[in-house]
Amino acid sequence: MPESVPSSLITDTFKEVFQAERRGSPRQDPLGWIISVPDTHQKSVLAALDKDRSLRVLTCSTEDDANAVAAGLYMTGEPVIVMIQHAGLYASVNTIRGISMDGKVPIFYMIGLLSREKDKDPKDSRHSMVRFAEPLLDVFGIPHARMEGPDDVKLIPEYYRKSRERKGPAAVLVGLETA
Amino acid sequence: MMKPEEVLKLVAAARGAAICVPTMTTSPAWRKIAPDDLSVGCVGFMGGAAAMGLGLALGAPDRRVIVFDGDGSLLMQLGSLATIAGAAPRNFTHLLFKNGVYHTSGSQETPGGQGVDFAAMAKAAGYRASCTIGTLDDLKKRLPSLLSDDGPIMAQLMTGLADSTPMNSPPGTPFHQQVAEVRARVTGKR
Repeated sequence: MPESVPSSLITDTFKEVFQAERRGSPRQDPLGWIISVPDTHQKSVLAALDKDRSLRVLTCSTEDDANAVAAGLYMTGEPVIVMIQHAGLYASVNTIRGISMDGKVPIFYMIGLLSREKDKDPKDSRHSMVRFAEPLLDVFGIPHARMEGPDDVKLIPEYYRKSRERKGPAAVLVGLETA
Repeated sequence: MMKPEEVLKLVAAARGAAICVPTMTTSPAWRKIAPDDLSVGCVGFMGGAAAMGLGLALGAPDRRVIVFDGDGSLLMQLGSLATIAGAAPRNFTHLLFKNGVYHTSGSQETPGGQGVDFAAMAKAAGYRASCTIGTLDDLKKRLPSLLSDDGPIMAQLMTGLADSTPMNSPPGTPFHQQVAEVRARVTGKR
């Protein structure tokens, strides 16, 4: 059965990812950028990030904005994580295709599966927005994995690295609302 | 009405080390006026130029970033005005080339056409300053401050049609190569 992941575990993992990316860089402040269109599923993480001065959170009007801002930051060498919801994935597929895929911009996404039922695999969800997220990522050839409990936070650095190595998008889906 | 090419020539002469972000009909003209330059075009994701410029401005706060936006383009991602205003990058200049049409696809009128006031929208969204410029003489006078005053700043430029569009021009450098080149120039990393 999937479990909620504590927000502190996620934010600490973000910092470790950014520290690794920043190693040897003259610029250390902010440690990294969280580009977000607020996701109800990850609201405890966003609340924790609000109190953390080492990371800079930028809230965008749309996921299209978030992707384009992430691309600009990448060109200046800044480490970025994009936090969105499945609905935002659907809303921004052309921008993801244009920027991260065709533009070969490594962007790592945390995508919340809002309304995912705890006792169901997402493919069996009664909500189309839950059912279609992973198949859509498959259609686009975007590597992804689902975070189903605290042990899975290791997927965050793994898929962040994957986005860098392949110079393109990679995603971790947040299975249950974060704690 | 100003000719877009004349506007771009003035900007090219005044921009210094600024990173420029052209989109749609400013792209082919800018390639001719400023080849081999610190520029990255918004290609394949119409509407994203201003937000990409915002990312560049936040990541390179010591450089000016100048976005050459279009009215049809900005309408596709109008919320970016609020995203930019919220982030408040001091080094951000947003030049909005307003011709009232989607030139590339055959000059269909944009929603609201010439009646849409993007300078007023930018100010209302929270830009530090915005203005409308209708002549090259006025642009010449204002350009130094547009490129040096604290941003985010928008200038709505009343322009005619460019000589070329991306559809009737030779293709430029692919977007992914532009990204790699700008990143290499700014960071020294590939």
